[in-house]
Amino acid sequence: MSTNFSSETAIVGIGATEFSKNSGRTPMELAVEACEAALEDAGVAASNVDGIVTFSSEQNFEIEVARNLRIPSLSHFSMIPHGGGAACGTIGQAASAIFSGSANYVLCYRAFNERSWHRFGSGVQDKHGGAEAFDVTFGWTSPFGLLTPASWVAMFATRYMHLSGATSEDFGRVAVTDRGFAATNPAAFFYERPITLEEHQESRWIVEPLHLLDCCQESDGGQAILVTSLERARDLPNPPAVIASAAQGATDDQQAMRSYYRDDISRIPEMKLCADQLWKNTGLGPSDIQVANIYDHFTPLFLPQLEEFGFCEKGEAKEFLRDGNIEMDGLLPTNTNGGQLGEAYIHGMNGIAEAVRQIRGTSVNQVENVENALVTAGTSVPTSALILSQDH
Amino acid sequence: MNRDLSQTNEPAKSDSERNDFYNSLISEVGSAGKIEVARDSVSEPVIRSWCDAMSESNPLYINQDFANDSKHGRIIAPPAMLQVWTMSGLHLGNQFQRNTEDSPSAGVYQLLDEAGFTGVVATNATYHYDEVIKPGDLISASQKLLDISEEKTTAIGVGHFVTTETIYSDASGKQVGSMEFRVLKFKPGTGKKNEQAEQKPPRPKPASNSSTDWFWDACNNKELRIQSCNDCKNLQHPPAVRCLSCGSVLLDSITTSGKGSLHSWAIAHYPQVPAFDYPLIVGLVELEEGVRLVSNITDVEPEELEIGMPLEVHWLDVDNEFTLHQFKPIHDEKQESEIENTETNNNNQTFNGDQNNSETKSEQRHVSKLDPETVQIGDELPNSPVPITTLLIVSTALATRDYQDVHHDPKAAQSKGMPDIFMNILTSAGIVSRWINDWAGPEIDWNSIDLRLGTPNHPDDTMTLSGSVTEKTEHGNQISLVISFLGKNDRGVHVSGNAKILLPENSKEA
Repeated sequence: MSTNFSSETAIVGIGATEFSKNSGRTPMELAVEACEAALEDAGVAASNVDGIVTFSSEQNFEIEVARNLRIPSLSHFSMIPHGGGAACGTIGQAASAIFSGSANYVLCYRAFNERSWHRFGSGVQDKHGGAEAFDVTFGWTSPFGLLTPASWVAMFATRYMHLSGATSEDFGRVAVTDRGFAATNPAAFFYERPITLEEHQESRWIVEPLHLLDCCQESDGGQAILVTSLERARDLPNPPAVIASAAQGATDDQQAMRSYYRDDISRIPEMKLCADQLWKNTGLGPSDIQVANIYDHFTPLFLPQLEEFGFCEKGEAKEFLRDGNIEMDGLLPTNTNGGQLGEAYIHGMNGIAEAVRQIRGTSVNQVENVENALVTAGTSVPTSALILSQDH
Repeated sequence: MNRDLSQTNEPAKSDSERNDFYNSLISEVGSAGKIEVARDSVSEPVIRSWCDAMSESNPLYINQDFANDSKHGRIIAPPAMLQVWTMSGLHLGNQFQRNTEDSPSAGVYQLLDEAGFTGVVATNATYHYDEVIKPGDLISASQKLLDISEEKTTAIGVGHFVTTETIYSDASGKQVGSMEFRVLKFKPGTGKKNEQAEQKPPRPKPASNSSTDWFWDACNNKELRIQSCNDCKNLQHPPAVRCLSCGSVLLDSITTSGKGSLHSWAIAHYPQVPAFDYPLIVGLVELEEGVRLVSNITDVEPEELEIGMPLEVHWLDVDNEFTLHQFKPIHDEKQESEIENTETNNNNQTFNGDQNNSETKSEQRHVSKLDPETVQIGDELPNSPVPITTLLIVSTALATRDYQDVHHDPKAAQSKGMPDIFMNILTSAGIVSRWINDWAGPEIDWNSIDLRLGTPNHPDDTMTLSGSVTEKTEHGNQISLVISFLGKNDRGVHVSGNAKILLPENSKEA
């Protein structure tokens, strides 16, 4: 389970398109633009790229992106299952490929029009009838109208509230913090549009106990990240964002979005598995993290993540939030780009890019003296997480 | 004629054309049909079939010994069957042929059908019961067309109300009863409610394969089954192809008790998928057997949801081939007993069209009578929830010899502008009568009942009957009561009206 290549690789380039609700161009154009921007940021020619790792839901396959970028050959390519849960996993598998020698420069990306084309959150009501195992899993929920990611998460949220005493206002604190950071991030979709807790509470229900402002909004856009060995990274223009560790996790009775059958559905055991690996591989602990990007497609699942990483005890994330700990002057400034909720919902890849900026010292909401930045990926699916560190 | 044709292909009628059409309709008003003699005389088997379908257990209709000792000295027909005896019955091939030739309303119906008013729903019926009808009586009917309304815009569509009066007589020509009956003949697809209902697609069906078909097949038999391991007895859900505890391939399933508790919930508001009604409550139910599953939680208000609340399964027939489990709260006995109890029987007893239950139900019903002294204006009848099932609608339609396709064929009902099959008015009358008999006792005399129909009763509805005594009149030793009643389903009032009954003269001594 442990990886023995801690801090052998680094992120050297990040690049994104604008984030919008209507990009006006195809997802392939977005993917190629984002990759070009990441390569330019890294100062690496496309001809050097020999690996691509992306993750499911991605419709811009690596061969077509490689063709457009004039990448001559790929010796490592993979697509990780389970969508947003795999965001940090792409970096982990890129690092693994580089460490093993199967590739030297690996691009990881996500690009889509999940708002202006097929709306990602509109529901799976038309996805039924197939006999394959994945289709069959929807049979246990879709006939009852549990059709959208928000509805799947709401079931966890109610149970979490019941056991922890967390309230809708506690979920709201996550949204308010995200939107506060987004308000000062010109790249964020919600730039200059902060919200108050009252506005959160007054926003309409999507799926109780989730208000509208508990839910990220589908976005159009692309984000790409270039990974190479730390050795090569040191010869490139940007300070390397060292991949201290990256880990994936799937655990007992794991289901996609609907792991409702475990003993305690208020916890996220697959995230605990990631946390255990990260702490073990790096020798770091919660107090060593100066800034984090905690996945926030829906605010409720933000809270148990804090608990699984040990930033607070089980059931005490609400107090952690009430004490202002995720704000700029708190113990753990979080989602300084605005998160998925405030910047854009790019399935977590933009959160990794923000952690890179925090390591480089170039974030618009820069936290002082960042040594280590934690990033987590999508929850309620098999997930992943990583720690980026300064190069010393 | 299907809905699209009537809605879009038909050229809009001018006012003068509409007037001409209406004039041709009302020229029929006042016409009387020839006397229609029932094909068969009143018989006990037909009475019993009707009582079975209605869950009517009045021994006066079905129990020879009881009836022999009654003032009638023999079994009598339920008064609510008045209309049944001369119903034309089943005519396969051309089921309206007989009506078309003989009854004045049929001629008008045909004119209306040809003009696109192909939908039909009964809206009012008033029955007067003049004489008791007994097995052996041969009933005849004579119908007169009383009125045809101008074109009206109604919730279910644009149409004309057609009112008829039918006099029922016995073989000697003596009037035994009468019925004033009003139907709405409407153009399918022209009502607002109706458009919504028709556009409502079915729920997503569960994706399934040969590893999981057994679960859904069991649901279709109204059985909630959970996968079990033959080796270690582990229970698991969703089903897998190995035991998740011991790895065994010897997997089977058990039938659960259908009881459990609420482990978590979500209330969907948005986005809204047309197949569902919102807000939509979805629960994670922990079964008594210790396994969880997702289902809808019904019969509960969102603010009443409480984690841990006890739940029990019930079943939703989504369509002819697909039944889905649902859960609803189990109300504790304390709450039940708080409902006001009278000396009479069947308080809040659930009416059930299920034939398997009807025997138990009739055993539970005791023969009892109201005390004419103590009954007074304002007395309430016990509320009675009536689950409306496909079986109930179809079996009562057949028991009332009503073979109109809208009462048994969902596709036909849809083509005539309704979302599904619906209960006929003879059954609404029968069920209300049954409920009043249950309350007042078997030996009351029926004088009359009038019914106004509103929202149709479709499968999966529950109609709850409520009512109270609104008039009490003493004529010497005989007391008559008027009971005002209301039958409501989730969408509104299905039936309302008044029934007039006479209490038995000797009941004081009983």
